[in-house]
Amino acid sequence: MRSEVREALIAKLTALADDEVILAHRGSEWTGHGPILEEDIALANIVQDELGHATLWYGLRQQLDGSDPDQLAFFRDAYGYRCCELVELPKGDWAFTMLRQYLYDLYEALWLEAAQHSTYKPLAEAVQKIMREERFHLQHTQAWVERLGQGTDESNRRLQQALDMQWGYAQQLFVPIPGEELLVAEGIVPDLLPLRERWLEHSTRHLQNAGLKLPINPGYQPTSRAYHTEHLWSILAEMQSTARWDAEAKVW
Amino acid sequence: MDTQWPRWEVFKQDSPNKPHQAVGSVHAADPEHALLTARNIFARRPQAVSMWVVRAEDIYSWTQEEVAEGQMTKGESYQAQVGQYLVFRKTSHKRSMTFVDYVGEVEAATPEEALKKAQATFTDALALAWWIVPADRVYKSDPSPETIQSWFAPAKDKTYKQQQYYATVGSHISKHKVGRGVEDEE
Amino acid sequence: MPVKYGVPSDPDYNERLAEFEARIKRGEKIEPGDWMPEEYRRQLIRMISQHAHSEVVGMLPEGAWITRAPTLKRKMILVAKVQDEAGHGQYLYHAAETLGVSREAMLEALLAGKAKYSSIFNYPTLTWADIGTIGWLVDGAAIKNQTMLAACSYGPYSRAMVRICAEETFHHKQGKEMVLLYAKGTPKQRQMAQDAINRWWWPALMMMGPHDQDSPNTEVLVRWGIKTKTNDQVRQEFINEHAPEILEAGLTLPDPDLRYDEKTGNWLHGPINWDEFWQVVNGNGPMNKERLEARRRAHAEGAWVREALEAYAAKRQRTAVAV
Repeated sequence: MRSEVREALIAKLTALADDEVILAHRGSEWTGHGPILEEDIALANIVQDELGHATLWYGLRQQLDGSDPDQLAFFRDAYGYRCCELVELPKGDWAFTMLRQYLYDLYEALWLEAAQHSTYKPLAEAVQKIMREERFHLQHTQAWVERLGQGTDESNRRLQQALDMQWGYAQQLFVPIPGEELLVAEGIVPDLLPLRERWLEHSTRHLQNAGLKLPINPGYQPTSRAYHTEHLWSILAEMQSTARWDAEAKVW
Repeated sequence: MDTQWPRWEVFKQDSPNKPHQAVGSVHAADPEHALLTARNIFARRPQAVSMWVVRAEDIYSWTQEEVAEGQMTKGESYQAQVGQYLVFRKTSHKRSMTFVDYVGEVEAATPEEALKKAQATFTDALALAWWIVPADRVYKSDPSPETIQSWFAPAKDKTYKQQQYYATVGSHISKHKVGRGVEDEE
Repeated sequence: MPVKYGVPSDPDYNERLAEFEARIKRGEKIEPGDWMPEEYRRQLIRMISQHAHSEVVGMLPEGAWITRAPTLKRKMILVAKVQDEAGHGQYLYHAAETLGVSREAMLEALLAGKAKYSSIFNYPTLTWADIGTIGWLVDGAAIKNQTMLAACSYGPYSRAMVRICAEETFHHKQGKEMVLLYAKGTPKQRQMAQDAINRWWWPALMMMGPHDQDSPNTEVLVRWGIKTKTNDQVRQEFINEHAPEILEAGLTLPDPDLRYDEKTGNWLHGPINWDEFWQVVNGNGPMNKERLEARRRAHAEGAWVREALEAYAAKRQRTAVAV
């Protein structure tokens, strides 16, 4: 692998993993506080799956540059993280959480489907594993969007509010990282442009069926993964507090 | 008044040649939601290949004691019509995490008649409890290989939920009794 | 359906009670629909709902550390463990529901502060090492009880316990692994582990409940096969198993009277501070108010979600009927 392709792949894997870590972090804030026991359990499944996916992505990076997954997750600061801003937004209410999860799951499911045929074997193999779980996540969150959208006036209003907030942020999922075009050219990762078309088509149909209106003005759409929301610093401060508490500790 | 949603009994099949077994219940709003929920609750660990859910109130149950006492009539919520009924049965007092097992179907006009037919049909073992379920009240998970892969296979990789994952080094209690040192059998 | 919960004023009560007790002696399981004394049902609902509430409230002290877990693996394990606790609460509410009490009613009693739950969860989790210690000691103590209850005479409770025991073993193991690791770790890790053991040891011993002579329910519970061991028996088993392992790890226990007794083969403990126990049971533990408040908040904030799905289901049913 040429070194600039390798560098781009390392950056892409990091972005994929960071998204999962931070989204899992937000999801895990619900554990013990869900609206009903059954859904507490359901969301905890999603969180575990995402942490598993992050571990896989970091693992692929480790094969390329030897970096330790826990070092990456727990000893990088907000300057080093490459997650998108959508996953950083505070957990909000159940409608906010389910909608974000749905928009993300739909993107991920489509991305994985296209990445199945990656020319980079280790990536294609990881995709096979992750895809199984992602299919179920999407079924689950799709069902929630439909039910909250068509439930009561209040649930519809809350979901609409979440959509108005998130729609612009979600577009960042389709902004390539610097150097991504090299990976696309090599057939290592799928081109985000056609994926975005499919994502728009699916999500628009499903959201409208659920009785929601797409925002006419999506508002702010983040474009760079080098900068973040004002929340990331606090997320990391909390998340890394134990790991960084004892500088001498080798294992936890 | 708070709602915890209706209760649905869940039947899980561990592998293709085993019967569906009653594993417990979930609270869910509608049939599709109940199936998703059943998967979330009862497929956190292996094994499963299929799940069924039924509203708790659509199940007609008889214990051996009730049958012996001739208490045949059950509630009247179900509109009697000739149709298929699923039959589930419990045959052992042995320690178990499941209740009744699926044994087959009978055609009948009422749940009571279905029970009588079941008693005449499934005679290979003594029934300690019967569940009779109108077939049109049973909701089943999608049997396609993709769904089985997506719903049930990933649990096998979640090895951190198994105790064998943890290589705890400890000593057997007898080591602390004076004089003898016995290695841990773990 | 005739409800068959017998009371002593029933003409055939003594006869049926004798049959019922004979069934239990023979090792038969009592199933929903079978005749049972109303007192058996009452005791079961009391125990099972308390047990369910304990699982649900028990999610909180550990759940508080999910966002601070020090590795990806530990985070995943902790989410799975707290999730299991929700699952166990779920299984147990199911067992109680088979006795004709609704989950709505049980939760209402919990949130109104009328229901009890294990008082261990009214202690705070101050450091990450508390997570390991809870797994090792608190789950270790819980498993002792649960293993006993898996043999319980009431079918649904027994089945829930069998499932819970199978899942719970990893909770204990991951906690033990963690504490042993920190006991051999850096000075800070060691000190953190010791501090956690110091704080959780006595509350763990209190988990089995008052001494036998102060436990009025035990006799009838044993006779009806709900419990098969007394509180003190279970407590002794727990100490015999855990005390030597903790000492072996190079940690100490906060009981100056603790010693191994050659004659009986038991590890004997010093006096338990029952005054503290009753203070916590009666609502004055460090976290009683916060725990209940957290449950109330989650319940209240989830109300619109539960209503929404109910409304959706009703609409769907109307459409289905119209078609």
